[in-house]
Amino acid sequence: MSRIAAAFRSFFSILFSGALAEDIAVRFGYAKTKPAPVVAPVEQPKLKTSDGALQLLHILQRDSRLIDFLMEDIDGYEDDQIGAAVRSLHSDCRASLNRHLALAPVIDGVEGTYQKLDGSKAPDPNRIKLIGNVPASGKVPGGTLRHRGWTASSVNLPPLGKQDPAILAPAELEIE
Amino acid sequence: MSQFIIGIDLGTTNSALAYTAAITAEVEHPEVKIFPVPQLANPGEISDLELLPSSLYIPGPNEFVEGALALPWNDKPPYITGLLARKRGVENAGRLVSSAKSWLSNQNANATQPLLPPAAPEGVQKVSPLEASTQYLLHLRAAWDRAHSDARLEDQRVLITVPASFDAAARELTQRAAKQAGYPEVTVIEEPQAAFYAWIERNRNWREQVKSGDLILVVDIGGGTTDFTLIAVTEHDGELQLERVAVGEHLLLGGDNMDLAVARFAEQQFAQKGTKLDAIQFHSLWQQCRAAKELLLSGDASAPKDQPLTILGRGTGLVGGTVRSKITGKEIRNLLIEGFFPTVAPDAAPQRQRRAALMEVGLNYATDPAVTKHLAQFLRQAAANAGTEGFARPTHLLLNGGVLQADAIEHRIFEVLNQWLEQSGAPPLIELQNETKQLDLMHAVAHGAAYYGFARTGKGVRIRGGVPRSYYVGIETSLPAVPGLPAPMKALTVVPFGLEEGSKVELPQRKFALVVGEPAEFRFFSSLSRKNDAAGSLIEEIGDDFEELSPIEVFLPPHTDGTREEIVPVTLESNVTETGMLELWCVSADDRRWKLEFNVRERAAAA
Repeated sequence: MSRIAAAFRSFFSILFSGALAEDIAVRFGYAKTKPAPVVAPVEQPKLKTSDGALQLLHILQRDSRLIDFLMEDIDGYEDDQIGAAVRSLHSDCRASLNRHLALAPVIDGVEGTYQKLDGSKAPDPNRIKLIGNVPASGKVPGGTLRHRGWTASSVNLPPLGKQDPAILAPAELEIE
Repeated sequence: MSQFIIGIDLGTTNSALAYTAAITAEVEHPEVKIFPVPQLANPGEISDLELLPSSLYIPGPNEFVEGALALPWNDKPPYITGLLARKRGVENAGRLVSSAKSWLSNQNANATQPLLPPAAPEGVQKVSPLEASTQYLLHLRAAWDRAHSDARLEDQRVLITVPASFDAAARELTQRAAKQAGYPEVTVIEEPQAAFYAWIERNRNWREQVKSGDLILVVDIGGGTTDFTLIAVTEHDGELQLERVAVGEHLLLGGDNMDLAVARFAEQQFAQKGTKLDAIQFHSLWQQCRAAKELLLSGDASAPKDQPLTILGRGTGLVGGTVRSKITGKEIRNLLIEGFFPTVAPDAAPQRQRRAALMEVGLNYATDPAVTKHLAQFLRQAAANAGTEGFARPTHLLLNGGVLQADAIEHRIFEVLNQWLEQSGAPPLIELQNETKQLDLMHAVAHGAAYYGFARTGKGVRIRGGVPRSYYVGIETSLPAVPGLPAPMKALTVVPFGLEEGSKVELPQRKFALVVGEPAEFRFFSSLSRKNDAAGSLIEEIGDDFEELSPIEVFLPPHTDGTREEIVPVTLESNVTETGMLELWCVSADDRRWKLEFNVRERAAAA
C-alpha cells in the first residue's frame, strides 16, 4: 500500500468510523498484535457519500412526492391549482424532515434586530456569513440579523441495507 | 415476583401497552407509563410509536428488498405488524389482515380457521383471527423483552383488555392468543372498566367527585366497537365501593365506521366532478376527512366553516392531476351527529338485525348506526334487570375513544342523555373528565388496565362485578319425538349473573351420564338480560333473550388400566378464575374432574 493511500485511508476511516483500519493500525504500530483473523467475512455494502443524499430524496419523494413536484412543469397551471397541491405536499414534507433531521436556527434571535457578536475575532464562516459593509479585518461587534440560518443538529436516517440508493421512487404498476 | 404490571389494549384498529412498577409500598396511585413500540414505519425504518396499529400484512416472496423487513429481534419475520402493514395494505389490500378482533366474537365463523384476509388472492397463505391476534401480542412481547432484558414479559403480571360485551368463548380466544404468544397467564379486564380505572388513576380525589348512590355510565367508542357499561357507587363500612351492574350488547360500530361515512360522502363529491378515486387516493381522502372532522367539530368558535380536500394526481404529474373539493362543518355534522347520534326519545329502539336466510360469512356489523338508539335500549334493559320501570338514570358520564376528539359528538351525547333525564325529572349528568384528554382517549384503556393490575394487589380501589351475563346449558326434554321437529330444549342455569372472580357454584341436582371414550357435547347459551336466574334453575323455554354460543364439549379418555367402566354419572360445576376466566367442569361421584372446552369449530354450524 502506498503511503499516500494509507494516509488517505487513515484520514477517512478516522473521520467516518472513528477508528483506524486494523491493518493500518498494525502496520504503523498503533496496535500491538495482529488481530485475530475474521471467521466469516461480513459483506458490507459499499457506502458512498452520495447515498445519504439520495436516501433523503427517496424519503421526501415517498412521503411527500417532492421530486414529482420539483420536476413537473408548472408553467401552465393557475396559482390556486399549484397552491392546492403544495399545501398537502408542504405538511407531509415538513413532517418527514422533522422525523429524520433535528432542524434548528444557527442564531435563535428575532430577524431584523441587532445581534451581538464576539468582536475580538472574526466569526466562524461555517456558522455566520457577514454581508454589507464588512470591515477588512472581518471582526465585528455585531450586526442586524437578516436570516437565522439552519443547522441540522442531528440526523436520524435508517440504515440503507440492500436498497438501491439510485432508485428514488420505484415505478408503480397496478394490476386491474 | 414481577417487577412490572403490564396493561395491554388489544384493540380492533390500534393496540397499546402501558406499564407500572409493581412496587410493594402502600401507595394508591402508581405512575403509569405508555411503552413506545418499535415497529416498521417504512421498509427498513424502525420507529418507536405509542400505538401499534392492529394490522398484519402477509408479504409476498419478492415484495420487499432483502432485509427491509428486519426487526431488531427478528431478521426475517413472516409477517409485518404495525404501521407499515397498514400503509402497505392500502396499496395491496389482498394481503392485509385488519379487524381480527371483531372476528374473535363472530358467532358465524370459526376464529381458529385461516379466514383472513377474506379477499386474499389464490396462493396467499391466509391466517386465522386467532393467529393475527397472537402476532400482535408477539410483537409487543418481543419489543418489551428487547427493552427490558432483565424483566422479561413472561415474568411480569399482564392484563389484556376485552370489550365488556365479549362472551366467554371470545375471552378464552383472547387468552389463548396470549398463551400462544408466550405470555404468562393473563388477566382479562373489560375495556369500559379499564377506561374508568384510568379516570381514577388521573383523579386522585375521585372519592370527592362521586358519592354512594351514584350511577356512572361509561360510553367507550373504540375504532371498531362501541361498549356501554354502568357502574354503581355504593358504600360499605364507610368506604366507597364500585360495582359494575350492566354491560351492553356487542356492537360492531365504532369510530372507523364514522370516518368512513364521511370519506364515502366526500368520494361522491369527487365522483360528481368526474374523478374516480383509486384505493390509495381514497385512503388519503379518509385521512383528510378524519382531520377535517376533528377541526370542524371541535366546538371552537374560531373553527373554520369548511376544510379543503385535495387529491393529488397519481402519476408524476402532481400539480396537473390535483383535484380539489371541500367539506363543510354542516355536512360533517349531518353525517355524523345526525347519522350516528340522532336526538331520539328514551324509548327508541335500534332496527333489528335483518336475518337473511343465506348470510355470507362476514362480520355482523350493527345494522342500525344510531348509537343513541342502542344507548336508549341499553338503559331500558338495565332498568328492567334491576326491576325498575323506564330506563336506568345515570348521574355521571365518562366518555372514552378517539372519535370523541371531535367535541361536537361529546356534546350531542350529553344533550340527548340530559333530555331523557330532564323528561323523567332527574338531575342533569355530571361529566367525569380526564385532564389530558387528547392522550387519554387513545391510551386510557391500556393505562387503566395497568392501574387495575396494581389495584388487584389490594392497594387501589377495585370495581366489583363478576360475570356480566348468565350462562346455560341446553337440556333436551324427554318428550315423544315429533318427526321433523327437534326435541324441545330447556336451559339449565350453570353460571348465574354476576358470579365473582374466585368463586364457584356446584349443581348437584342434575346428573348427566357421560360415555367413556366418546366426546359429549352440550349446547351452550347466554343471556345479557336474564339477571335473576339462580344457579341450577331450569328455564322452560329458550326465548329471544337467549343467545346461543359455541357448544361446549368434554371427552372422557378410555381407561388404560383395564377397568370396563362405560358410563360415568357426573354433575356440573362452574367457576370463575381469579384471572376472569369462566370454567365449567364435570365432576364424578368419586371426585374425578374433566373440564368442558369451548368448541369454536362448531360455532358456525350452531349459529
